[in-house]
Amino acid sequence: MKSFFWENLRIALSELWGHKTRSILTGTGIVIGIIAVSLMSTLINGVDGLFEESMKFLGRGNLYVEKWPWFGDEDWWTLRNRPRIELDMAEAIKERSQYAMVVAAERGRSANLSYKELSAENIYIHGVTANYPEVSTVDVEYGRFFTESEDRTGAQVVLLGSEVAKTLFPQGNPVDKMIFAGSKRFRVIGVLAEMGKFMGAFSNDTQVIIPLATFNKIFHGPWGRRSITVKVPEHLVEEAKEELRGVVRVLRGLKPEEKDNFAINQQNAFRQSYQGIKLAIGGTGMIITALSLLVGGIGIANIMFVSVKERTREIGVRKALGATRSQIQGQFLIEAMVITASGGLVGLIISTLISMAISKFLFPATMSFGVAFMAIALSATVGLFAGLAPARKGAKLDPIEALRYE
Amino acid sequence: MSLIQVKDLYKIYQMGNTEVRALDGVSVTIEKNEYVSIMGPSGSGKSTLMNLLGCLDTPTSGEFFMDGINVATMGDDELAHIRNKKIGFVFQTFNLLPKSTSLRNVELPLIYNGEIKAADRRDMAIRALTRVNLGDRVSHKPNELSGGQRQRVAVARALVNNPAIILADEPTGNLDSKTGEEIMVLFDELHKQGNTIILVTHEEHIAAHASRVVRLLDGKIAVDEATHRGKK
Ligand SMILES: Nc1ncnc2c1ncn2[C@@H]1O[C@H](COP(=O)(O)OP(=O)(O)O)[C@@H](O)[C@H]1O
Ligand SMILES: [Mg+2]
Repeated sequence: MKSFFWENLRIALSELWGHKTRSILTGTGIVIGIIAVSLMSTLINGVDGLFEESMKFLGRGNLYVEKWPWFGDEDWWTLRNRPRIELDMAEAIKERSQYAMVVAAERGRSANLSYKELSAENIYIHGVTANYPEVSTVDVEYGRFFTESEDRTGAQVVLLGSEVAKTLFPQGNPVDKMIFAGSKRFRVIGVLAEMGKFMGAFSNDTQVIIPLATFNKIFHGPWGRRSITVKVPEHLVEEAKEELRGVVRVLRGLKPEEKDNFAINQQNAFRQSYQGIKLAIGGTGMIITALSLLVGGIGIANIMFVSVKERTREIGVRKALGATRSQIQGQFLIEAMVITASGGLVGLIISTLISMAISKFLFPATMSFGVAFMAIALSATVGLFAGLAPARKGAKLDPIEALRYE
Repeated sequence: MSLIQVKDLYKIYQMGNTEVRALDGVSVTIEKNEYVSIMGPSGSGKSTLMNLLGCLDTPTSGEFFMDGINVATMGDDELAHIRNKKIGFVFQTFNLLPKSTSLRNVELPLIYNGEIKAADRRDMAIRALTRVNLGDRVSHKPNELSGGQRQRVAVARALVNNPAIILADEPTGNLDSKTGEEIMVLFDELHKQGNTIILVTHEEHIAAHASRVVRLLDGKIAVDEATHRGKK
């Protein structure tokens, strides 16, 4: 039986080679289908990795009290008109909330930095409380974080993100050097470990961190992000969120009939909307895949019927020389599968190239072995189904009638 | 035991209300290494008989023993097996695969044999082509060969599997008389080497090569006698 497989493969290949244009045209639907399915799975895998990586920045047990909800469909003007978050609520929240383990506050805006003749523009200045490391993933690589008393007194000390450190101090240790943020002088007390990007876009390494009190002293005005991070036990995060909502409502003096004029954000919001996006990408990909494989499969079935008809005499000769039904059927099935599997292979090569480009310019997206295997198996299966009816038709031909066919 | 034993063979086609008796009770016995020609007017059932003897077709009724085995009741796959191992066909229209070389064409029966390794197949095919004096045409395709050469490739294909019987249905019908005679010389040699040959023809001088002639008329055997050559 093995020798027939190679023989049939040989016949199939020479047959396809003999009808190059026809083979390419019929294989195109499969190529597109396989590009859709393999690229989609690769992208989803890549985005998944990116997402999980990014979610580390937002601890699972963190609740963020902010003016703007991260997701939702509330009226923009209503949100716009909310009062900004009073960061001094942090103290009161810590006192009143049962669940709160750590309450940190932060503000941010961008500014230009300089050291001697070197400068770094549009750097995110992050003013945070001294307990910020407990609610975030910042990690000090050299030097130290600032202390509670440095925060209270508004000391002009700064920690540099790894990219900022590289820009301002291409060689040499930044610790204890004096840099300028606008006209203010800051002493560098530490450098943060590299953190990577949030969602592949916002770098966490081009920020600098200063004490919140120092920030408040230097930057006046309403702009920039304000957020209170409340760290609660991960498994109680939903209960804690309800409690926190009540606490903030009381602190804001809201009447029962009044709506919340603040948002409590959490990682879950990202997760939920991400799941939605993922389903949408996946669903679209599946529809494109199914349609192109279906259309491609019908095209191949059609071409195989033509091929069987054209080769009626050949079938008669083969049968006269001793080919059995199953050998003839196998010959045409393998031919159909070779078309679709080659289409699948071409599709796979194209999507590998595309995912390499994506990896290079956007985010890590590597084609897994499993995806590649599935793509080839899927395309061969399409060939199997598309070839079944034509192959059976050829196999059932009466040898005498087939030999007489003109 | 006779190589072929046919008893009361009928092949009846139902065409609407009328039935066509292509074979109307044929009984014939053919021994090993016989050289038989089948003659008869057009439509007398010669091809029908050949197709049955060649296991390409099954009779409406009757018995057909080949080497003592009843072929008339065999299924599709068994018949394919017999065609492959026991029968070598030569057709009037050659029936070579147009896109394959002589070598590939001659290899085909060996491929469907399923028990012969690729390297051996090649050797056997080259040997068969050499036997029909085409050892120098192995990589030619049919359209690069003359009619006589094509028929010789077909003969090589028929004998490559060492079949028990070589069946030829008007093998010279598409050839001029000179090349036709060359093919007949080939059959004569094969017969001398011990092969059993049955051929259909409507030309007396072709039939004269055989040692026995069976004449059909309306699906029945009218005459079954030794030829001039057979009497010697
Ligand atoms: N498939 C078929 N269907 C109906 N009639 C057939 C078929 N094949 C052969 N016949 C008829 O059977 C008779 C014998 O045909 P055939 O054996 O081809 O004759 P020959 O080869 O002697 O010319 C003819 O009358 C022919 O028309
Ligand atoms: Mg005939």
